[in-house]
Amino acid sequence: MAEQLNDGVWTAGDLLERLERRDKFFVLDVRNRDEFERFRLEGRSPVPAVNIPYFEMLELGGKDEMLDSVVAYVERDLADQLPSDLPILAVCAKGDTSEFVAQGLRRLGYASANLKGGMKAWGEHYATRALVEGPDLAIYQVSRPARGCLSYMVASAGKAIVIDALRHLYPYLDLARATGLTIEAVIDTHGHADHISGGLALAAKTGASYYLHPYDAIHPIDVLPATIPYEFIRDSQLFPVGQHQLEALHIPGHTLGLVAFRLDDRYLFTGDSIFIRSIARPDLGGKAETWAPLHGRSLRRLLGLPGGITVLPGHFSSLDEADETGRFAASLDDLKKRNDGLVVLQRESEEGFVRYLLESLPKFIPEYVNIKRVNTGLLVPTGEDAATLELGKNVCALSQAQAASAGGKQ
Amino acid sequence: MSQPFDKLLDARGLNCPMPLVNARKEIGKLELGQVLKVVATDRGSVADFQGWAKVAKNVELVGQETESTDGANVYVHYVKRTA
Repeated sequence: MAEQLNDGVWTAGDLLERLERRDKFFVLDVRNRDEFERFRLEGRSPVPAVNIPYFEMLELGGKDEMLDSVVAYVERDLADQLPSDLPILAVCAKGDTSEFVAQGLRRLGYASANLKGGMKAWGEHYATRALVEGPDLAIYQVSRPARGCLSYMVASAGKAIVIDALRHLYPYLDLARATGLTIEAVIDTHGHADHISGGLALAAKTGASYYLHPYDAIHPIDVLPATIPYEFIRDSQLFPVGQHQLEALHIPGHTLGLVAFRLDDRYLFTGDSIFIRSIARPDLGGKAETWAPLHGRSLRRLLGLPGGITVLPGHFSSLDEADETGRFAASLDDLKKRNDGLVVLQRESEEGFVRYLLESLPKFIPEYVNIKRVNTGLLVPTGEDAATLELGKNVCALSQAQAASAGGKQ
Repeated sequence: MSQPFDKLLDARGLNCPMPLVNARKEIGKLELGQVLKVVATDRGSVADFQGWAKVAKNVELVGQETESTDGANVYVHYVKRTA
């Protein structure tokens, strides 16, 4: 048996640490099968898992109490699928039912822990890491690991700008409080489709202005204007932050109003254009053929920037895209060599690249239409609806498997 | 739309898995053909009762509805004992 873990409970933070370290463990997930398929635990390397809904354990275990049923079911029907030499993490939606499962497993002699708060807590876990931290300039990467979402706080001389604030505000408010920073502006690089933006709410809470490119204040599928208050971003606009400034680069493609931000020749906040391993998809507005050529031209514009500039993306698809310190950042020159989309972009004509984009589109996610409605104020969800809309990992990048093999003619 | 039932189980305020664990115990006390009405506040119970009814040999899910009172949802399940 593996050694006993922290009193049998892992927080979402403990889980992230283990996933980043590539610790070996096994997952027994007792949610519904469709919940399991839609949103699984993923690490730097694959996490072995088995999914048995708890109501099957309860019914097939055949005992009145959950714990007794778990013991009976596992002993009789599951023992041959569970490793005896790895810790087993019991996982459910909110962390209550999985506590019975972890206890049952321990009663049978397994080393087992419960994921505290379940997949809800994991889905809402945030991690904040400094990329550079000094009085002249600090940049913090605030990630939501389960969803593959990245956001940033850029600070200088006591002032801060937040880029792509995610739905929960506490990571930014806590960070600002801990570092004594005043948030002066909150910027969305584009109208997000995969997650509910916290931008407007954070701006309201801190008294900062909220900025968005006006093209993304029109819902692309409804063709209706946003009802939220926002300040316009225009190409080349400068956003001062302390002793520095961010320059807006309008790079339509993923959305019509997508804007990247450049801090000198040092940092490039790419939003949903260039990620670490892949590039963004051009079809979430429902107009892939029309937008794909724009996307190609915008990416070429970014390729023309100094190669030493550090790319800070809006998403990742796998924890494995992080460097050894858990940060998602790489130089443009480095990405020209290893980012699938950029490799194809450098090789192909405009037409060839458009063909590659259109061949590499992942499945359209229907929820994304509603999330864009929420982000433009056209739809107001309850808290629980918001969580359901956001369930699972983002799918804002081109399909990876195809990206690796496709790409048109040599 | 309300349905006829023989016994009421109030599982409001209980977290997963208790609404289902308690419903399963109550079903065992019913006569064949009788219906248990379960009211719960756990949203996950909607899918869970559907999944449970599929795997359990002695129950049929004969109805589900969501009632909204004062902005809070209550999830209602009608489960019939069939064996």
